[in-house]
Amino acid sequence: MTGGDVVLQTTNATNATGAGVSRPPSAPLADSIAGMLGLDGVVGAVVGGLIGAFLIANVMLTTTAIAGPWAKRKITASFTDRIAVNRVGPFGLLIIVADSVRLLSKELIVPDGVDRPAWDLAPIVITFSALIGFAVIPFGSGLQLADPETGVVFVFAAASIASVGVVMAGYASNNKYSLLGGLRAIASNIAYEIPLIVTAASVVIFAGTLQMSEIVAVQRQPLVTVAGVTIPQWFAIVNPFAFALFTLANLAEIGRNPFDLPEAPTEIVAGFQTEYSSVYFVLLYLGEFIHIFLGGAIAATLFLGGPAGPVLPGFVWFYVKMWAFFLFTQWARSAVPRLRIDQFLDAGWKGMLVLSFANLALTAILVGVIV
Amino acid sequence: MSLEEPGPDADAAAVARAADEMEALVGEHVRSRDDHLNAPGYVVRPDAVQDVLGTLREEANLDHLSCVTAQEYEDRYESIYHLKSYDDPTHEASVVVPTPKDDPRSESAAPVFRTADWHEREAYDLVGVEYEDHPDLRRILLPETWQGHPLSLDYDQERPQIVPLREHANPLEDDQEGDEGETMYLNIGPHHPATHGVLHLKTTLDGEQVIDVDPDIGYLHRCEEQLCQKSTYRYQIMPYPDRWDYISAGLLNEWAYARAIEDMADIEVPEYAQVIRTMGAELCRIAAHMLAVGTFALDVYGDFTAIFMYAVRDREKVQNILEDLTGQRLMFNYFRLGGVVWDLPDPREEFFESIRDFLDHLPGSLEEYHDLISANEILQVRTVDTGVLPPEVAKSYGATGPVARGSGVDYDLRRDDPYGYYDELDWDVVTEDGMDNYSRLLVRLREVEESAKIIEQCVDLLEDWPTDDRTIQSNVPRTIRPDDDTEVYRAVEAAKGELGIYMRSDGTEQPARFKIRSPCFSNLQTLPEMSNGEYIPDLVASLGSLDIVLGEVDR
Amino acid sequence: MIGILKGMATTMKHALDGKTFTVEYPDVAPEVSPRFRGVHKFSQERCIWCRQCENVCPNDTIQIVMDDKRNGEQYNLHIGQCIYCRLCEEVCPVDAILLTQNFEFTADTKDEFVYNKEQLKNVPWYKGIDPLNSRNPDRDAWIGEGEGEIDYE
Repeated sequence: MTGGDVVLQTTNATNATGAGVSRPPSAPLADSIAGMLGLDGVVGAVVGGLIGAFLIANVMLTTTAIAGPWAKRKITASFTDRIAVNRVGPFGLLIIVADSVRLLSKELIVPDGVDRPAWDLAPIVITFSALIGFAVIPFGSGLQLADPETGVVFVFAAASIASVGVVMAGYASNNKYSLLGGLRAIASNIAYEIPLIVTAASVVIFAGTLQMSEIVAVQRQPLVTVAGVTIPQWFAIVNPFAFALFTLANLAEIGRNPFDLPEAPTEIVAGFQTEYSSVYFVLLYLGEFIHIFLGGAIAATLFLGGPAGPVLPGFVWFYVKMWAFFLFTQWARSAVPRLRIDQFLDAGWKGMLVLSFANLALTAILVGVIV
Repeated sequence: MSLEEPGPDADAAAVARAADEMEALVGEHVRSRDDHLNAPGYVVRPDAVQDVLGTLREEANLDHLSCVTAQEYEDRYESIYHLKSYDDPTHEASVVVPTPKDDPRSESAAPVFRTADWHEREAYDLVGVEYEDHPDLRRILLPETWQGHPLSLDYDQERPQIVPLREHANPLEDDQEGDEGETMYLNIGPHHPATHGVLHLKTTLDGEQVIDVDPDIGYLHRCEEQLCQKSTYRYQIMPYPDRWDYISAGLLNEWAYARAIEDMADIEVPEYAQVIRTMGAELCRIAAHMLAVGTFALDVYGDFTAIFMYAVRDREKVQNILEDLTGQRLMFNYFRLGGVVWDLPDPREEFFESIRDFLDHLPGSLEEYHDLISANEILQVRTVDTGVLPPEVAKSYGATGPVARGSGVDYDLRRDDPYGYYDELDWDVVTEDGMDNYSRLLVRLREVEESAKIIEQCVDLLEDWPTDDRTIQSNVPRTIRPDDDTEVYRAVEAAKGELGIYMRSDGTEQPARFKIRSPCFSNLQTLPEMSNGEYIPDLVASLGSLDIVLGEVDR
Repeated sequence: MIGILKGMATTMKHALDGKTFTVEYPDVAPEVSPRFRGVHKFSQERCIWCRQCENVCPNDTIQIVMDDKRNGEQYNLHIGQCIYCRLCEEVCPVDAILLTQNFEFTADTKDEFVYNKEQLKNVPWYKGIDPLNSRNPDRDAWIGEGEGEIDYE
């Protein structure tokens, strides 16, 4: 469990910085697990963190396993008037098992002239960079591995490590299509990460904190009450413009239509993943889906009130919001064409960047005037 | 009617006069006349090809080099340039260039008509005529290492046909070109998601911009011309046209052969059969255009677009109708010389009902396509003003069909050189002036509407057709042996453009030369013209908008 | 922007109406038109061994072996090589060969696709449809005798 280790380290690091300050527990899940086991001190932090990381990583991996081989096919099929997987198990759910066995039992083909350590590391980097991001995501119901004060910064930093992985994959594959895919990935990530983070910064200005749990808490406050129904202060409702910007930039960040240029199957075959097979392909595939869910999780936390929602427990609501984002990416895939790389970059630098800074400035002024 | 009989004497005289006028233009070069059934043929010296073609193009308005046929006789080689006019395709002429057996060299027409480039390469490849002054005389359909010319008379099939690369030039070496420069050489295909079959584009890139693209075709070459030369006119050739453009355009292809042989052997087609043919052909055109639109969307939208499946769904409905009519979904083999093989299926009302049902739903589906494709702003940004093909260039390359009509060339054989029942029906030729990928897409979508109009009129006609006049085939002999040395070149408007057949008979029941003028072959030739300087995604989109079928390009 | 939204609305409409146009193939046998041309069925009782089908076949799919008294001994048909053009059925004067609607045939090797007359006889009707019924109305249509000679040999 390499991922578990990495998550654990970050957990410890945040634990160390968070200690001593009178704030809500900075590693809520780890602490409660440690509490349940009756451990405390360093041992409690280590054991609790390990178990918590294991839990969260497994939940996310299971989610991707459902999303990749099964849900994605079902969703695409319903958009295209087809039936899709329904033979193996109830609703075809056992296709997940069948597919994993199929993919893992395939031969791992290592092409001539690949740049070995980089080529092998790329799938791991791509997958686990996304998993690390979930360390600070507040799932609700107390499910949050770590809650550092700089949560927002951390999650974006973790998510953008994936670009490094994509570039490694593209460059090390010794394939011109992969190289083109890798170059496209760099270009798109640089162009769209800035608007993404600047838009997120407008939320931070509004909330006045970088801590994920605090941002969620701010959104819980009522915005307005109409006929007995209280509308909470979700940032998607407060500033829909920022939400739209964020969603678009997020699509680019995770490489989905209309911005799926690093892959672009009909143009550059499969981009950076052209040369990968078997286990490495599974890792890349998982990585992509975890990234979609991480994108959904960030959007839900920053704009959709995190785990907030009536009746059902917070965790369920958060899960539903992540899936809704996943559904949206598939929906966009069914009907939105891909942009050309130069148009895509034009839109990023000349459109998104300007709009996101305008949004930031406007938010800053508004917040300054009101508060 | 498919027969272009110069029936009245006045017409015949006018045709003869026009032929003489043309002959006067190029008189000094003409050695004799070798008239074909469809056009006057002028025999010229091998060193006067460019002069003659240039003059005919400028003076006689023969601006469409439809096809180049090469063949070998016992005593000579012969290249035939089939010329037409874009304004009036019935205005035709053939330029026949005989070359001696021992020195089969002839002047290239490529400087006059750019389309001659590929056609002459094919002639060189398969027959062995060498064209002087040709920009790039390489093999085109067969591999570089092929030995001999398979359509020449002395071709020895027993001999090894391909030699290993080490005994020949190594084609991989080209990969190294530009190693020191700023460019990158990229093989797009033969296995690539967007090449619609096995097409290989040798692309040179500067960054992501295409600076040179050289299509490498022939991966699907199945010797269709030779197959037809080994088959009898009466029955055996008819199944093969289905396999040229196999994207459900079978009936349109069959019509090309049917038209040529019916002209050659002087076979009448009953009017009832012509209406059925027209209806079936237009159903095929809808099916073909549906797939063209669907795959174009696939190229521009990505793999998971719903449009492709919607297009396939609508195409499936057409195929069900065609299955009821012909008995197959793709390889119809429905036409026969002098008619069709089956009358409409019983019960007729049910069959008409299914067609009407399809036609009723078609406007709704098209609306959906327009919502999904042509109204989409991102698609417009992607396709408008990319892959530009100016009309002059399109004409020079012999582009036809939706590719030419998307460049504003108003050319449609169904109207300009009428056959079947088209001239009795009320429909329009669709043209768009955009010259880009977007207008080619629009042309296809609008042509589906026009085809629907034609089908509707045919159904109306067939419903009211008198029961005692339902002759589906005229009385055609079991064995057909056209007169010795009869030559004919006839074309129809297939889904992709002008599909022409050249046939020469030698008095037996099999053709001595059977040449297919494939629209995709000529259209594909325009790809470098469209995509040089564009990005890879636009190259892919342009390729999609050309709507090539490799089975027809390579034959 | 409106175009994009229209497109997305269209696909969502399709997703929500729940209609599908594909069939669950092996479980649901698809409807096949009565004219459909599938694997051949051969009746030795009807055959007069005129060899017209062998002659008309465009790609030598049918092989007929006769003894020296012109009695038929073998009738072999390579259904993997056949292009299903139906010319054999069309020229047959006695309906000895018919194309059924069976479109499913599998084998481990290509050789197994060479059917002899027994195997051809045992090809089942698809869903019990006898294609002869659907073909009756036009059975005589193909016989264009013209002025050419008729060669039954």
